[in-house]
Amino acid sequence: MRVAVIGAGVIGLSTAQSIYEQYHSIVTPLIIEVYADCFTPLTTSDGAAGFWQPYLYDKGNIQETKWNKETFDYLLSFLSSPESVKMGVFLQSGYNLCTEPCPDPSFKDIVLGFRQLTERELQLFPGYNFGWFNTALMVEGKTYLPWLTDWLQTRGVKFYHRKIGSFKELAETGADVIVNCSGIRSRELQADPELKPGRGQIVKVDAPWLKHWICTHNFTAGTYNSPYIIPGSRLVTVGGVFQLGNWNEQSNSADHKRIWENACQLEPSLKHARIVEDWSGLRPVRSKVRLERETIQSSPTPIEVIHNYGHGGFGLTIHRGCAQEAARLFGQIVEQKGKGPKARL
Amino acid sequence: MKSVKVVVVGAGVVGLSTAVCIAEALPSCSVTVLAEKFSPDTTSDGAAGILLPTQFPDIPVERQRRWFRDSFDHLLTIAHSQHSSDAGVMQSSGVQIFKEVPAIKKPFWSEIVIGFRFMTDRELKRFPDHKFGQAFTTIKCECSSYLPWLEKRFKKARGQVQQRRVNDLLELSKSYDIIVNCSGLGSIKLVGDTEVYPVRGQVLKVEAPWLQHFIRDSDGCTYIYPGIKSVTLGGTRQECDGNLQVDKEDTKGILERCCRLESSVCKAKVLSQWVGLRPSRRNVRVEREVVQLHGQPVPVVHNYGHGGWGVTLAWGTALDALGLVRQYLDEI
Repeated sequence: MRVAVIGAGVIGLSTAQSIYEQYHSIVTPLIIEVYADCFTPLTTSDGAAGFWQPYLYDKGNIQETKWNKETFDYLLSFLSSPESVKMGVFLQSGYNLCTEPCPDPSFKDIVLGFRQLTERELQLFPGYNFGWFNTALMVEGKTYLPWLTDWLQTRGVKFYHRKIGSFKELAETGADVIVNCSGIRSRELQADPELKPGRGQIVKVDAPWLKHWICTHNFTAGTYNSPYIIPGSRLVTVGGVFQLGNWNEQSNSADHKRIWENACQLEPSLKHARIVEDWSGLRPVRSKVRLERETIQSSPTPIEVIHNYGHGGFGLTIHRGCAQEAARLFGQIVEQKGKGPKARL
Repeated sequence: MKSVKVVVVGAGVVGLSTAVCIAEALPSCSVTVLAEKFSPDTTSDGAAGILLPTQFPDIPVERQRRWFRDSFDHLLTIAHSQHSSDAGVMQSSGVQIFKEVPAIKKPFWSEIVIGFRFMTDRELKRFPDHKFGQAFTTIKCECSSYLPWLEKRFKKARGQVQQRRVNDLLELSKSYDIIVNCSGLGSIKLVGDTEVYPVRGQVLKVEAPWLQHFIRDSDGCTYIYPGIKSVTLGGTRQECDGNLQVDKEDTKGILERCCRLESSVCKAKVLSQWVGLRPSRRNVRVEREVVQLHGQPVPVVHNYGHGGWGVTLAWGTALDALGLVRQYLDEI
């Protein structure tokens, strides 16, 4: 079978990985190809800080919470091996700050050592009077994506630098299954009014004395529209901006000024940090992740598509859970096409 | 009114902290720091600088608690200010792990560090050789930055520094009214304190910027302390060993033990190695002593013998020493 994955961000690559892991010994031959016009280090996943944390509340979307947990546990399991360094995965603790008391977040049992903030800790952050401390994971796109790419290439997955115009285009070249991991640009392949850009802008700075992430939450301003400071392995990512409907991928100075001033108020030591660069990206925002099969009527044969896009600002956080689910959906197609183990007598 | 001349012997973290406390609080005193070694050549410079106390057996716990609280609060303010990077002071979260469950699970300093709690079972899974652990946030104070920062502060308070070896108190008593002895191991010779002894420590500095948490084995011999520019791996505790040369066997041992706790350091690039001698004593000595020198009573304030807890207790014991200097001034 030939599987064509569209998109080489964290979703595309990890989905290719899951499909390979689960089916390469069941379906032979299993040819997996990744098509994208954008590869690491230029994808949306590369620009993100790489901080594992879902939105505070899943609003009843327990499926997404389950996928988040699966991702966390999966990444955590690598920590006991030196492989974690090559993956860009490591632990980091920090603060979630709110301006008023709020219910415990959806991820409280997933992360490590979750607890309420003490009075003394809150005194460090004037203006915030409630929050939590926990240990979470970092998974840095700029390291993780090359690791995934290498993992896939070693196993024979081919990469093609090409913009795909339509699902039909790939189907016509002989792809049996198309996996659509095209993120924000999925609309170019199929209309989806629910998919919108959630523009983000960040400033990357050199401040190696910072070892904790600090995420503030302002329920009026909305998710990611409140300052956050996330140290990485080399640089610190400072944000946050979340502009729904803004397609502009250029960084702008007004956003920079606001981000910077807010962050310096939150963490005064940033005043002496060296600013390295700005970056903007478009979070592929959707009311919920689109992770489902679609059989598109076409001649001569229907086109089997697995959609896996719309992960908003939590792609890295949820990627493994979604990739495994996408692989499961792939399994359904395998069964249907009679290519599964039962078919071999 | 004649200015009282105070001399502080020693320019490690204890000496400079004490000098700053005195100079800033007592403008009527002229304060001079005399030392053979200044940063980056002091014992303090090589220390990782993580604030984590021990309990001295013969000093009332309340006094030790006060020392640690004063040190912690002072450094926390700096860590959270715009001076953090200049001073080399940062917040550090991590764990202290125990191979056997300790008798005292909550030490006297547990309320002073931030967010002290026991490790969860899930967290302990990462350390199969260990049965119990404490997680908390403390401070890391890197003396290679902190000492120069303190020295600037000292000079701003009109303090003076002089680099020279002090051989005996007598020579000092001729030029100074009050002597503050922060000479660490130097006290063996300077004041004839035979209770002071070196405890040799070797550390490696490695490049592992993905490490954000400290890990310390409760035996104090194996630890991983991520810092601003590198990660300190340690260590050794060799009593009465004055060898300042890097020992290859120790290097091997440190790497093996640290690697067991955190496999990602196994292949980390070693940037440098260092050996220091902790100025150890059964109890740290923070007290007054009027020393008779050639028939003259000379007021001395002692502040030495901090062992491996110099950074941890410097500011608190410095404030204590300041109080003792004040007592002398009141008596004059």
